[in-house]
Amino acid sequence: MSTSISHRQKLKPRDQRVAALRLKNNRLGMSIFQVSWIMVFFALIVVNWQLRYSYAQWPPVGVPPFEPLLPSLATLALLCSTVFAQRGLAAFRGGQLPIFALRWRLTMALGSVFMALIAREFATVSAAALATQYGVTMRLMTGFHIVHALAILGVMLVVYRRALAGAYNGNEAAGWAVEGTAKLWHFVTVAWILFYVVLYWLC
Amino acid sequence: MNDNRNRTPSISPAAVVVAAIFLLVSVIGINWFTSFVPVVLPPQASAESKSVDELFYVLVIIGGIVFFLIQGMLLISVIFFRAKSGDQSDGPNFHGNALLEIVWTIIPAGVVVFLAVLSFNVWMQNTEPKATVNLIDGDEVKINVSGARYAWTHTYQTGRIDPNGAQIVINSGDKLHTYIGQNIELELRTQDVIHSYWVPAMRVKQDLLPGNPATGGRPTDIRFTPVRVEGETYPASYPIVCAELCGDGHGRMTGEVIVYADESQFLQQFYEPAIYAIMNPPADPVLRGEILIQEYICNSCHILDSLGWTSRTGPSLNGIADRAGERVPGQSAEEYIVQSVWNSQAFVVPGYTEQMAAFGPDQPDANAMSAEQLYAITAFLCTQGEQTDCDIENQTVAIPAAINTAFGLDVDITFGQGDGAESDSSEAPDED
Amino acid sequence: MATIAVPVGAQAEQNEQEAVRRPALSEYLRWSVDHKIIGVQYGISSFLFFLVGGAMAMGIRWELLTPALDLMVSGSAYNSLFTMHGTVMIFLFIIPMWAAFGNFVVPLQLGAKDMAFPWLNAFAFWLIPPAAIVILMGYFVTPAEAGWTSYPPLSTLFSGDGQTLWALGAHLLGISSIMGSINFIVTILNMRPESMTLWRMPLLCWAVLATSIIAVMATPFLAGALTLLLLDRVAGTTFFDAAGGGDVLLWQNIFWFYSHPAVYIMVLPGMGVLSEVLSIHSRKPVFGYRMVGLSSMGIAFVGFTVWAHHMFTSLQPELRIPFMITTMIIAVPTGIKMFSWLGTIWGGKIRFTSAMLFALGFLSMFVIGGITGVMLAALPFDIHVHDTYFVVSHFHFVLFGGSVFAIYAALYHWFPKVTGRMMNEQLGRIHFVFTYFGFLFTFFPMHIVGMLGMPRRVAVYDPSFTQWNQLIGLSAFVLGFSTFIVIYNVIRSYYRGPIAGANPWRALTLEWATTSPPPVTNFIDDPIPYEDPYGYGTEAATAYLDAVDESFRNGRPASGGH
Repeated sequence: MSTSISHRQKLKPRDQRVAALRLKNNRLGMSIFQVSWIMVFFALIVVNWQLRYSYAQWPPVGVPPFEPLLPSLATLALLCSTVFAQRGLAAFRGGQLPIFALRWRLTMALGSVFMALIAREFATVSAAALATQYGVTMRLMTGFHIVHALAILGVMLVVYRRALAGAYNGNEAAGWAVEGTAKLWHFVTVAWILFYVVLYWLC
Repeated sequence: MNDNRNRTPSISPAAVVVAAIFLLVSVIGINWFTSFVPVVLPPQASAESKSVDELFYVLVIIGGIVFFLIQGMLLISVIFFRAKSGDQSDGPNFHGNALLEIVWTIIPAGVVVFLAVLSFNVWMQNTEPKATVNLIDGDEVKINVSGARYAWTHTYQTGRIDPNGAQIVINSGDKLHTYIGQNIELELRTQDVIHSYWVPAMRVKQDLLPGNPATGGRPTDIRFTPVRVEGETYPASYPIVCAELCGDGHGRMTGEVIVYADESQFLQQFYEPAIYAIMNPPADPVLRGEILIQEYICNSCHILDSLGWTSRTGPSLNGIADRAGERVPGQSAEEYIVQSVWNSQAFVVPGYTEQMAAFGPDQPDANAMSAEQLYAITAFLCTQGEQTDCDIENQTVAIPAAINTAFGLDVDITFGQGDGAESDSSEAPDED
Repeated sequence: MATIAVPVGAQAEQNEQEAVRRPALSEYLRWSVDHKIIGVQYGISSFLFFLVGGAMAMGIRWELLTPALDLMVSGSAYNSLFTMHGTVMIFLFIIPMWAAFGNFVVPLQLGAKDMAFPWLNAFAFWLIPPAAIVILMGYFVTPAEAGWTSYPPLSTLFSGDGQTLWALGAHLLGISSIMGSINFIVTILNMRPESMTLWRMPLLCWAVLATSIIAVMATPFLAGALTLLLLDRVAGTTFFDAAGGGDVLLWQNIFWFYSHPAVYIMVLPGMGVLSEVLSIHSRKPVFGYRMVGLSSMGIAFVGFTVWAHHMFTSLQPELRIPFMITTMIIAVPTGIKMFSWLGTIWGGKIRFTSAMLFALGFLSMFVIGGITGVMLAALPFDIHVHDTYFVVSHFHFVLFGGSVFAIYAALYHWFPKVTGRMMNEQLGRIHFVFTYFGFLFTFFPMHIVGMLGMPRRVAVYDPSFTQWNQLIGLSAFVLGFSTFIVIYNVIRSYYRGPIAGANPWRALTLEWATTSPPPVTNFIDDPIPYEDPYGYGTEAATAYLDAVDESFRNGRPASGGH
């Protein structure tokens, strides 16, 4: 979806119009994609919600509830990382590449911390929980989320390196790759916050 | 946008005449169709069917009005507003009429609100709890329905006690027996996939949903009250149909509701004879087996000519006694038959799939089968053949140790004891 | 008072050879990012799947000529046949077929050079062949036999590997549908000419916009449901297995949350086509343009609140009433459309072209589907006919009487634009008569057998329904035969049809203001749309149409056109 055309030469007016339209399209397309794909996360929340009614109580009898401390720290890390991603984008637009680089390194570092913590949660679900949908839906949701986070972190790394190599210099339209990646990371954050609330607080 | 946007298209007098004729035809048509209704719906055999059909009449009349209105306008347009040959000009630049649009939004909205209210009333009326249900001989008897691929089983948990002090349960197989005026309430449970219990003549339908067996499944209810149908001779029979795709034999998963004229006919022709048969089983195990095997759902998958079974999902039972001894090396005919029922997955006949449920003391609901019952059924099946290999006299079939272990049982079946009730079985728990 | 805006399309330098200068057929077999090529790719592949699904339908009706199981070796074989019939028709025929017309026509109507994301567009199409292969491959292993609705536990604990392949294929098709829809929304919202406000947009674009909004919001739920189904089948989870704490109704809820709106995905574009065809071929503006456009949005919105009426016999009784009410409400916007269309042709000057015949056929058949839809919404009556042939009849009136009739109307209407040649009208009329009556006598009697007590999805049935089923079966063969007429017509017209010229129907929308077929960039310069897409019957419109004809006159042979 992201176009990465390097515009070194001076743009003619018509090309500028085309580039502006392309940027407009990319932005709208990204928003629609985000609205669309968040529905999968809603679908999984519905799954979690409906399966609760198979049990007399939630978490089910004999299953210890999840400890919210580590996931909360992870959520905090993710929130910080998404702020850094946005601030990095601002720096990139302002032409301050070193600041952009610093902020996106922070984004990726905090994102990795988030994923490590959640992966730990995923791996250490108790056997008692796994015997019920309480643990299984938790794994379903966190696993599904981690796959997205990992993929987008990978994209972020590629875009980061190419941005530093100067592939996206020039104008706003050419910088779409950076903007789009930041937006995808915001998507990961929003999706996680939904899951976080459902998994750890709405019991 | 344009000056002549509000110019109404002219309507010729001929169009008015056609419209009038069409209106007349519509009224006659709707009348004709409602008279046709009894032909397109099954008999009204329940109290619920009457109110559902009344709702249907209303739906058909309103639907008919809409149908004839739209087809009529279409017909008039097609006849009167076709371009004359050679006329290349455009029609009037007429963009719409706000009043008309409001009208055809408000009126349909009003109609659907009316239909929703009407449907709601019919629904509430039909689902109203009854003072008494399943009243038989002064008792409220619990009637369970079990759906399994591909047959229905009805069981009446009667208030009577057999000589051993156990509750008498009448298993009427795929038939539900009831009588006019009895408020029927069935508790539905499925053994496997989703089924749907549908009695077209009663206009009732309910899905059977798989639930967790550990918590008693996920029972659903269905209620109706049979009423007298003009011109019907009683006892009358109405089909039960499975309405939710359940697999290979879905189309064959049928049954019957037998409606008796009144309670005394019901007691006389069904209830008391059934209880008598349970209290006085035939001494011959073969005869007992022949009765018993029809209470289970074997007919839903197997062919057996002597009982008129025709389903081809599972292997044929015709001449089973001739083959049973050769199926599994080292197993005698009777051992093989016992195993095929009790632990049906242990050996699957080549060419067939692992579809058959197991029947035994540890099985719930309609699949529960005591050792004594298994003995009788085996004895019956051992008569199905030309030169039967079975030896049901004076022989003990040792249930394979693995089965006994798996079910936590310690059971052998001894053939040849005249009194089948005394098979060598430890009393197995009803539910495990 | 209206200014005459002469379209600045492909200019008047077209000669007769160029008039039908079409992409080489090999263009259609390879990757292309041209929306017109992709549109045809969608169209041809969907039509092939229509033939596959249709052949399966013939097999189904053949089996049902007698009450016993005779054609098929087992009930399972029959079950897998109608499972594939439903899957192919819904996922591989109707939904992609609308992507075909949407792709070809929408950018042209907007005066755009291409879709917003051409590469994504091609990618969305090329997901379909592998998905189709996966699904059809499943038919040859242990086929899925749980119906296209694939209710667990039948589809989880009691089905073979074909079910897994079915779910994988459907997953791919869902992703294709989401990508295509994002593309449509962005194209429609961002790529209109400046003078074309939303309220001056052709109604097909409105319909495609509404459809795409539904698709992007609902299809992810299908993705969720299929993911769970796959996990249950291959990873040992128990989301739908009650013994493991799962819930079979979970599938029904999520699946229908997608699949009910999917009905509107399948029928709304047809409604857009109808607005175009009825207006153009009766030479009269669409009656109540705004309400027609808005009712598409209304249907899209209300369509999300009705899903559980598919579960009237399994849902908890107290939840059934609210869904009955929402289902009733959705009849209102549909009714607005019906009446507006009648208002459109009323007083017009109707040309009985094949496209118009199929559009009128839609009106006349779809109304039956609408009426039975309200009947099915009435809970107590639905309880009786739920999962019977009444329902089969209802949705075929919606999806065949609605969608397929509209697809044929669209085919006859836009074929000249796609190929530069006209279809044969005489064959078109014959095709219509066979289709209309074949359809009517196939599906109307199904209402009656359903009410009398015949459930759907059965290979064996009560012998008392035999005569009805024979009538249905024979009519179905007539309906099946009618398809060959249109195939012959398409092939013959592609090579030998009269040259169409730019605007054979004298239509005001922009796709007719360029050559047929359009050049690669659609328009030489940015075209200016006429102020009102359906403003027929004014001098200004006539002048505009004459100007369009004039600017393409050199490209039109004297004998060609219409």
